[in-house]
Amino acid sequence: MAMLQLEKELEKLTKSARLSEAVDDVDKIIDLLTEARQRVAESANDPHTTILTLTKLQNPIREGLEAVNDDLKSVHKGQNKFGKALQQAFTNDKVIKGTLPTEHDPMAAHPDLINRAIAMHLLREGQFGVASTFISEATPQEESSMAQFQSQLSPATLASPTSPRSPTPTDVPIVDADPSSELSALHSEALQASFASMYSILSSLKSHDLLPAITWARANCAELEARGSNLEFELCKLQFIWLFKGPEVNGLPDTPANGRSGALQYARDNFGRFQQRHLREIQQLSCAMVYSSNLGASPYRAIFDITLAFDEVAASFTREFCSLLGLSAESPLYVAATAGSIALPQLMKFLNKVKGKGTEWTTDQELAFETPLPKSMVYHSIFVCPVSKEQTTDANPPMMLPCGHVLARESLQRLCKNNKCKCPYCPSEGRLQEAREIVL
Amino acid sequence: MGDRVYAKLDHENHLLLDQPLLRLPFELLRKNFRSAHFEVERDGSFVKNTLKDTATSAMNGKASPDDVLKSLDSMLARMKGVKRKLSGFADEEARLYRHEQARVRHLAELYDMHSTEDVKYEHWSRTRLDRLLVDYLLRSGYGTSARMLAEERGIGDLVDVETFETMGRISQCLRNGSVAEALAWCTAGDIKKELRKMDSNLEFELRYQQYIELVRPYTKTKLAEAIKHAQKYLHPYRTSHPKEVRQACGLLAVPPQRAASYPDYRALYSPSRWEMLAELFTTTHNTLLALPSIPLLHMALSSGLSALKTPACHSSHPASLAAAPSHATSLSLASSVCPICSTELNELARAVPYAHHTQSHVEHDLLLLPNDRAYGKARLEEYSRKAGLPEAQVKDLRTGQVYPVEQLKKVFIT
Repeated sequence: MAMLQLEKELEKLTKSARLSEAVDDVDKIIDLLTEARQRVAESANDPHTTILTLTKLQNPIREGLEAVNDDLKSVHKGQNKFGKALQQAFTNDKVIKGTLPTEHDPMAAHPDLINRAIAMHLLREGQFGVASTFISEATPQEESSMAQFQSQLSPATLASPTSPRSPTPTDVPIVDADPSSELSALHSEALQASFASMYSILSSLKSHDLLPAITWARANCAELEARGSNLEFELCKLQFIWLFKGPEVNGLPDTPANGRSGALQYARDNFGRFQQRHLREIQQLSCAMVYSSNLGASPYRAIFDITLAFDEVAASFTREFCSLLGLSAESPLYVAATAGSIALPQLMKFLNKVKGKGTEWTTDQELAFETPLPKSMVYHSIFVCPVSKEQTTDANPPMMLPCGHVLARESLQRLCKNNKCKCPYCPSEGRLQEAREIVL
Repeated sequence: MGDRVYAKLDHENHLLLDQPLLRLPFELLRKNFRSAHFEVERDGSFVKNTLKDTATSAMNGKASPDDVLKSLDSMLARMKGVKRKLSGFADEEARLYRHEQARVRHLAELYDMHSTEDVKYEHWSRTRLDRLLVDYLLRSGYGTSARMLAEERGIGDLVDVETFETMGRISQCLRNGSVAEALAWCTAGDIKKELRKMDSNLEFELRYQQYIELVRPYTKTKLAEAIKHAQKYLHPYRTSHPKEVRQACGLLAVPPQRAASYPDYRALYSPSRWEMLAELFTTTHNTLLALPSIPLLHMALSSGLSALKTPACHSSHPASLAAAPSHATSLSLASSVCPICSTELNELARAVPYAHHTQSHVEHDLLLLPNDRAYGKARLEEYSRKAGLPEAQVKDLRTGQVYPVEQLKKVFIT
């Protein structure tokens, strides 16, 4: 609750300690001086009045200056108090002690890669203006003409807007890509165009216009199907329901192409291609026609409840669209920065413990401490060998014994005697050759 | 299991990265106050003394009414000057209060959220990313982008564009070979005192550079100037920087064209000193304002990349390569492509270690296909259903191979 406390302290500070009060008191001094000057000027040749005025002026001026000083003092006091509260907010018992880890900065060596990540982040967030400013600011001047040249040559690192490529492994350029040319390759605006079209489709979806999305899904149906995605059918189905609801819900003109007749026509034109895969759902939709007068009481009311449907298809559209570009749906930079803040306390705790021992804060490959992340941030299967407690890697893959239990290969080899292994978890015994390397 | 604990927000520790956010306006407030105090002190005592002197001289008959008027005018001018400056400081103060308030409020919003799964948290965390990005852009000298981003996201009060722009301008001047701006910064008002307190050698190095530039042309007049400069500005440092001051004297004997054979003097004439000065200035500036020495984004990323990274993210395993990179698991059935495997961060993450886990995180009810790939039962069934396969068959999510159900084997993860 430290911040709430701080909020109150700040409230007090901003109310009581203001330099503007000192300005008012300075104003009073100016008034005194102006008045005195006038009096002296009026009584031009009367030294007595001059002396009297000057003598009389001494005390008010002194008091005036003291008032100004008091104002400053109270500002100073207030700020000191707030400073203490600020200190307190970040050093109370609940907060991990220590300073931010600034000594070890593995990121410092890769400004180009960071810039590229930021540029892509801005593009995928739809901030095209900022992105293009950033790209031109971050591309060294003398290279920019080169960069343009390169971008024309480089086989579009990212797919062209019209036909996002399928995510096959060979064309994901992650290993040999030269980062600086990557940043300039973004100049080619292929990525920007892709995301621009994504945002225009999304904004149509938001206004309940499904047609652009359906067009996109149809153009990419082969890739989508390979991914096991039903997006195209889901969109068509929603379009059917949307038309079915009629003009008073969907606000479209009341023509034969709308309402029940429109929905039926739409189904005739479009559902044929889905018959094989989605026959059951199509049957349901057509049967629902019968209940059109009292749909709410029919067994089909769940299908026709579309309060969340548009948000859902928008989310799954975004995911599919990004996946076909070989990108994740959430901005990786966002996920990484969020995960970073969640994991930072652990890192600092660890640093505090090893401080002074001269230990390097990481081993070469693996962090020395656990950083618990929410489940939504676990993307890969992680297998920790129950015997060695090590994560399996390329060099030490998971192996399944004939009984179905899984161990890391190194553990298995250590357990083996004369080519025979007894499973550590059940009574069965097998030979080393029978163990299978598996991919989780 | 235990996921609710992981998703729970540890409010106090979640803001570790945000301390500088509140510290900077506060440091600026203090600086602003000290400058205001300095002005009031100086001109206040001037007015007090002048008034006293004028009154005495008037009484002794030494001052004519005209003199009295003149000195009254000078006092008025001073006070008006104070008022003008104070108003400036008051405006700055109001701006800083506004920033600090907006920031505390922004951080306090976190207390309304209790889990990282909260929709509000996502919004908050996005704002935080924007802040980190602006901080990074400003520190890297991409001011225009930083300004645009801050404006588009409406986070002007949460970032410090002006502070960094001033800093960037001064360090750019240093890189272009001009000391004047940096010198003006470090001798202005009370900064000199603060620098002395933190034992900074910035001013010395700047003066030293001026000296070197006077010696460089190696003409009679310039050398004489250099000696004068050294007497005035370098001599006071003879106890704290004895070696440098001695070298400065020695430099007089070594014109630039002969310096090549003396590494120490060559280094003094070297243009790389400008880069060093620019960096020294940046560090000094950041320390003075309690700013971390590296961009916050770097900290967040190195911590976050490690936490997310798994051995599979840079796997070159033949089995996973043959089929697809690990992120091809990102079927619509899976949640999403792993951010570390995604193009944006993959190379960057190479530099960091992967996360440590003590427990396996695998799908429930794993089934092994004849091609040695294991998938969760639920996912396998759903995918096969969506692919329109008969019930007795399943399809590999990555390779697309179809197998009869009876060939599957159960996998036990302990």
